[in-house]
Amino acid sequence: MRITAEAKTVTRQRIIDASTSLFKADGWQNTTTRGIAAAAGIATGTLFNYFPTKEAIAAALVAEALKRANEEFPDSQSEESSLEADLFTLVWSGLCNLREFRNFLAPACETIFSPLARQSPASPGDAIRVDHLEMVDAIVTAHGVPGPRSNVTVQLYWTLYLGVFAFWAADDSPGQEDTLALLDQSLKLYVSSLGLDQGMGIYGRQ
Amino acid sequence: MDVNRLLAEHPEDEFSSTSDADWVPGRLQEILADLAHRPVPVGSMHRLWTLSELSAQIALAYLAVWLRQWFSGAEDSKRRLMETNLRVALKLFHRLGYLRGAITKLGQAAGNLPLLLPQQVTETLDRLHFASPPMHYPLIREVLRNEFGKGAEELFLDFEKNAFAAASLGQVHHARLQSGEPVAVKIQYPGIARTIDADFRNLSALLLPMRLGKDWESVKAQFEEVRRMLNQEVDYLQEAESTRLARELFRPEDGIVVPRVHPEYSGARVLTTDFIQGLHLPEYLATNPTQASRNGFGTKIYAAWHRMYFAYMPYADPHPGNYLFLNDGRLGLIDFGCVQHYGPEEREIMRLADKMTFEDPTLTREVVRRVCGVSDDDPALADYLEMMTESREWMMEPVSRPGPFDFGDEAHFQRGLDWFSRTARKRITRANPMFVYMNRSIFGLKALLFRLRAQVDVHEVILQERPRLSATN
Repeated sequence: MRITAEAKTVTRQRIIDASTSLFKADGWQNTTTRGIAAAAGIATGTLFNYFPTKEAIAAALVAEALKRANEEFPDSQSEESSLEADLFTLVWSGLCNLREFRNFLAPACETIFSPLARQSPASPGDAIRVDHLEMVDAIVTAHGVPGPRSNVTVQLYWTLYLGVFAFWAADDSPGQEDTLALLDQSLKLYVSSLGLDQGMGIYGRQ
Repeated sequence: MDVNRLLAEHPEDEFSSTSDADWVPGRLQEILADLAHRPVPVGSMHRLWTLSELSAQIALAYLAVWLRQWFSGAEDSKRRLMETNLRVALKLFHRLGYLRGAITKLGQAAGNLPLLLPQQVTETLDRLHFASPPMHYPLIREVLRNEFGKGAEELFLDFEKNAFAAASLGQVHHARLQSGEPVAVKIQYPGIARTIDADFRNLSALLLPMRLGKDWESVKAQFEEVRRMLNQEVDYLQEAESTRLARELFRPEDGIVVPRVHPEYSGARVLTTDFIQGLHLPEYLATNPTQASRNGFGTKIYAAWHRMYFAYMPYADPHPGNYLFLNDGRLGLIDFGCVQHYGPEEREIMRLADKMTFEDPTLTREVVRRVCGVSDDDPALADYLEMMTESREWMMEPVSRPGPFDFGDEAHFQRGLDWFSRTARKRITRANPMFVYMNRSIFGLKALLFRLRAQVDVHEVILQERPRLSATN
């Protein structure tokens, strides 16, 4: 029997919904792909047609949330907004969209976003990384900083982003105000580093 | 933190290439240059915020100058020991670059001491009151959401995204309430309030060399008072209450305006008050005001300070940024974060000190015993008595002369600074913690009036305000 694209989308969403419930109820470590398949009402083998690993499901959740942040982004900007402010809006909006998954994201993302993981299009986190960096690059370019960005500044941004992400996942401060401060300071650091690409380093014109 | 280990780490000869007179500035320059390029501190210390590099640098420079005041006249051996301690302190600041909030507050206090510091430094410190690094609007929006569950667009009829002034570890924005009333919205940088205790734990390491001395308990209590007041200063709910209490003290005929707090738009990290249109001191002075105008404002500043003092809630931070000079001659008081609220013990001490100052100088020994904890058989008694007598004489100078007193008299201000320096040199440090801020407050008030070059009929003000002391409990 041929499965329509619509049916595939429905099944995929069922898996994501079932996973979210189980991750929230039982935690990341205690949730198995077998349990997810049962909760979604499909065979375990069928689940693997959609997501090869548990990490891939978590990566899909993150990707969806960040995609929504990207889509929301253009509507919330004004002309006088600074680069730091725009990047802040993008990152914070993504984190807000992920808030309901926060409790289980930290262990999940240790694998998805491991800085030591080999980067390849097949890895669950890589598509997220590429999409996010492209969005960041577009914002930076829109603020009059022409590309291409050096590997160093791109890696600096991603390292800072992952640091903020990891901190946010475990931040118990009121209203997560410590993450707000860390994000603000991280973006200040990143934006100041962009001068290096233009020959205007923090130590003056080279 | 083992200070002895640190001392060993930085032997004397590290600075031998420079003379005693200039090693601190030279070393400071190196340290400050390095501080300017320090990365964001996000390690185990959780220092997630950094105030402006400029403010940190100037404040650090001030701190070094201030520390040197304490030992410039000491014996050689003592001075060498103290300089070693200062080197260690500077090293610590160098390494622990996250102590900037507390240092910045110290720096702001220095802005009021124009004779103690070079003019350029005073002016730069002045600007610090208004020139902290800005928070951009998306960050502000989140702070407001944390506080009220709503962003600025929903809370206010309109809200100016750019701040018009910096505040204590935050910034102030123009806005209009839904009713159309113009207000000032003070917003604090996220997370900063919770760092003060951690900062003080680290700062207290600098005091360890003093812990074996007989003054230790008193120093510790004073340090604790500074920590308590800084915590109070970043609690905008407390500031709202102090503002409300201060507002009750003044009547329209006083010509002194305290803004109304809007509690429904205020919380622990956001404070919304009426907006008062007026000039700050440098802007006012730039209009080349008449002597009569200066005297009028000076009298109001002096009266406002005494009104609060005699209400047992002294204005502990009378720096220029907290005063507004209105076109119609009224004075605006706009920041009540640093107000002490005296309890029964402090009130009793205050009444005793007041009686000694204005009525009965023979109470000096009793005041020294109560305020400084110095008993009659203490070897330091003579020094403390002399300090208290000199202090009283300086305080009484404006009162003991009939007619207006010229606060622009440099000699008077200098005598106060000399007294302060002598007290510091003699290490007369024992005092009830309430006097940490009281001294700062008195010097701040006189420094402000000095810069204003105001002539104030002190007799008249005291005559009107002092009876309130016996009328309140």
